[in-house]
Amino acid sequence: MLKKLGNIAALAAGLFALAAPVAAAELTGVTDTEIHIGQWGPQTGPAAPWGSVARGTGMLFQMINDAGGIHGRKIVYHMFDDQYNPAKTVAGVKELVEKAPGVFGFASGVGTSPGLAVKDYLMERGIPWVGPAAGSLHWITPPQKALFSLYPLYADEAKLLVRQLVEKEGKKKIAILHASDEYGENGHRGAVQEMQRLGLKPVAEVPVNQADRDLKSHVLLLKESGADAVLMWVNPTHAVITLKTAAALQFAPQWATSSTLSDAPLMQTISGGLWKNILFASFSELPDADTPQMKQYREAFAKYAQKGERWGVFFMAGIGFVEPMVEGLRRAGRNLTRESFIAAMETIRNYKGILGTVNFGPGQRQGAKEIFLARTDDSGTKITQLTPWAEVK
Amino acid sequence: MSALGSLPQVLFSGIAAGSVYALIALAMVTIYRTTEVLNFAQGDMAMMSTYVALALLVAGGLPFFGALLLALVFAAALGAFAEFALLRRAKEPSVLGLIIITLGLEMIVFGFASWKWGGEPRDMPIPLSPTDVVVVGGVIMSHLELATIAIAATTIAALFLFLNRSKAGLAMRAAQQNRAVARLMGIRVRRVEMGAWALAAVIGGIAGLLVGPAATVEPYMMWDPMMKGFAAAVLGGMTSLAGAALGGAIIGIVENLFGFYVSTAFKSVVPFAAILLMLAIKPSGLLARHYVKKV
Amino acid sequence: MDMKRSYYEDLRLFDTLPLGLWLVAATVALAAAPFLLGNYVLYVLGYIAINVIVAIGLNVLVGYTGQISLGHAGFFAIGAYATVLLANVGLPILLALPLAALIAAAFGFLLGLPALRLEGPYLAVVTLGFGLAVENIFAKASVFGGATGPAVPGFGVTFLPGFSREQNLYVLIVATAGLSLLAVRNLIRTRVGRAFIAIRDSDVAASCAGVDLTWYKTLAFAVSAFFTGLAGGLFAFHLGQVDPTSFNLMLSILFLAMVVIGGVGSILGPVLGAVAISLLNLKLKGLKMADFEQIPLAGPDIAAFLGRHFMETGMANIQFIVYGTILVLIMLFEPLGLYGLWIRGKRYWRTWPF
Repeated sequence: MLKKLGNIAALAAGLFALAAPVAAAELTGVTDTEIHIGQWGPQTGPAAPWGSVARGTGMLFQMINDAGGIHGRKIVYHMFDDQYNPAKTVAGVKELVEKAPGVFGFASGVGTSPGLAVKDYLMERGIPWVGPAAGSLHWITPPQKALFSLYPLYADEAKLLVRQLVEKEGKKKIAILHASDEYGENGHRGAVQEMQRLGLKPVAEVPVNQADRDLKSHVLLLKESGADAVLMWVNPTHAVITLKTAAALQFAPQWATSSTLSDAPLMQTISGGLWKNILFASFSELPDADTPQMKQYREAFAKYAQKGERWGVFFMAGIGFVEPMVEGLRRAGRNLTRESFIAAMETIRNYKGILGTVNFGPGQRQGAKEIFLARTDDSGTKITQLTPWAEVK
Repeated sequence: MSALGSLPQVLFSGIAAGSVYALIALAMVTIYRTTEVLNFAQGDMAMMSTYVALALLVAGGLPFFGALLLALVFAAALGAFAEFALLRRAKEPSVLGLIIITLGLEMIVFGFASWKWGGEPRDMPIPLSPTDVVVVGGVIMSHLELATIAIAATTIAALFLFLNRSKAGLAMRAAQQNRAVARLMGIRVRRVEMGAWALAAVIGGIAGLLVGPAATVEPYMMWDPMMKGFAAAVLGGMTSLAGAALGGAIIGIVENLFGFYVSTAFKSVVPFAAILLMLAIKPSGLLARHYVKKV
Repeated sequence: MDMKRSYYEDLRLFDTLPLGLWLVAATVALAAAPFLLGNYVLYVLGYIAINVIVAIGLNVLVGYTGQISLGHAGFFAIGAYATVLLANVGLPILLALPLAALIAAAFGFLLGLPALRLEGPYLAVVTLGFGLAVENIFAKASVFGGATGPAVPGFGVTFLPGFSREQNLYVLIVATAGLSLLAVRNLIRTRVGRAFIAIRDSDVAASCAGVDLTWYKTLAFAVSAFFTGLAGGLFAFHLGQVDPTSFNLMLSILFLAMVVIGGVGSILGPVLGAVAISLLNLKLKGLKMADFEQIPLAGPDIAAFLGRHFMETGMANIQFIVYGTILVLIMLFEPLGLYGLWIRGKRYWRTWPF
């Protein structure tokens, strides 16, 4: 009998404990002294090299806070590791949004599928999200009120590269080596479209799986196709394996790569010095660009960066994708609400940070469209910009 | 060159890739035939040893062979430690329980290496160049590929002699066949098992040192070779050294042929289809006798 | 004390009254949750419940029939894709879910055929290859939506007027988990369940005793795939997205870990294992330098040492070390997993305070 009573008591206690925490008023993540901003980013797992995007954003916020914050508020930055696993992204985003004091909005965030998994949740609640770090059409079809996209489309990069190869460098036989994920497929599609416009067809289209470590049959296929130029839409490791295998198989076409591989110093190091005479697209200033803004960031990097960090394109992207958000927060003024922020974002025109020129407006949610082409020299260390910043038409 | 004209090149590529799988398979077989444990940490233990070699080469400034040797010593120590500290401590272990322990070990090793060295890929400079080549009869062979095949062949031969001709090798087989009797015969079974783990870690480490320079050194570098190596071991029969070597070669060749002549998209799946077919005909692998547990 | 003394005791739903009371309490608490708790907690509970369904399904195969599978992410994927594709052609979701689970079960049956003659590592490799093939085919074929998967339709089921999408989904997931639990518990006590157990203990002996190995082994695969496929379908809606690359080997390994960590061959074990692994998955985070600095006495020195010898950018990876250590420790000290700990705890408290 006693045991039974004990059980009933425990049951009642359990129910009572559950009933206690009831969701309170809406959390906006803004207090008198703080703005809370979140970001997901793979700090571990296969996508970990992309984790520096979220850390770059962290450095930008640190710089802003040390310079006094925005209208008397400091930015509190909540970065979490989602391992590029959408199930974890959703959990982390919901936790941040629903736990006091909530978050005002989300900055950047690596990956198409993690982003897609939280998009509806954020948009239903009108939570601003600026600069997803993936070049996908999903962000702007259809345009969402609170979602501001900055990453120029992968397909545009591919088009510009094909145009350069065919029209300026007289290449006729172009092959495509692409990752079999959304990134690779988009680049692949863009390149094929542009080739069709120019009356050409790719001489080979070779997909690469994420896990592959042996690309000999891939490179042999490229070689057999007789290609004089190869578009590479793969990750850095696959690019290195491709170049090493191609060098061994005495296959030396003109290589052209996406902005994902635009970190020439990194590529030169990890390829053991094979990153020579590579044509690539870029959506941000080059890491050693000489603008005052870039100098300022490099100085900040020397001061704030963690051990193991490297000044490279991904880290810079974390700054570039979030600069317009900071600008929007500034323009929204002291009376900051999600509505006033979105209205302020829509006034951003001809804003130049380390990406191309950014333009938002009512109904316009793809902010940056400009990219440029560059090429490494025969030593692999010196980079020359080939085309000016321009939108791909 | 016509498509058929590339056949020798594709076959050679297959054998080079298969050599790495064969090494991993040998490592797994060495442990399995002594302790009946499927070691899923084999790949990441090899990854760790490769990082150690890289650190000794680059940061430590050691000469190449010195760094390699020390890295293999480290691999042996890591293998012995894993057996001593984890596997031996398991109480009344089940087969699945042992698998989970090796998976836990894999996570620990992986986490430690990624913490210590970060997730970014790195270059491993070695004197065996992946881009200098020898051309024989139209087939292009890089120095690294040739070395990979030669090292794999030597390791297999040495291992075969060691396990089948030496006393220690005999003790390993005895330990697997009947622990209790082996102990009665005066074999220190635990020491033998620790030795098997150390030996396997060294063989795996060699594979890691060959994979690193061909691609990049990064925490995930051994996942694909590990999976194929495991498949090769099973294909060969899980207890047979020659089977493991043969299995590695078959998988390397099949996937390269398929990748070149059919499609690279499903290249990594096809070896498993081949294994399924093979096991449907011979359920215990190519070179092992079928064995039914008695009631 | 746990002995069954009559046939009717074996037929009872709950062994003891306290157990029954606890189950009622848990049911009431789970039923009350959508009224009381926020979206985030419902998401986590839903995630756990989905994993519980997978774990009890996988346990039919691993725990009761003694087979191994490194390919259950494949069934999970088949369930997710089939549900979404069926719903996209206009089938109601409540019909699409069980249909998709049946499709997964059919694939389970097919995979069970080669498994008839295989065991241990051989079966592991075949199932591993199956999972890999499924992942690859879904990611490559454009009929399945290619690299980003098919669009997941809206979840149009309403259990209570005024419930949000998340609340409705929660009700469906948790109710399905509860029903699955009940179904497996009852299945194991039937002729079929006893045949499974006989095969696990010795397939040769079982076959001598008249158990049809072909039928029951493939049936075990099919039953297990059914529940995993069901969970996969729920997962597609829970996440609102189907990403082919997420159904990878790592996921299959996690499923297996849930069963083994929880304790094979029991009903409660996989549930405990699924809860534990799900929470580890969602909650485990890497440490930061500041965490080390707070260690009493030597904090700053430890931090300085780590700063010298480790990458600060890699500190998130400490979670893998913690994860792996937890797996290893549970297996080292309690081969029966969390269920074993539960049994031991129960024995200890039974005679308390003596």
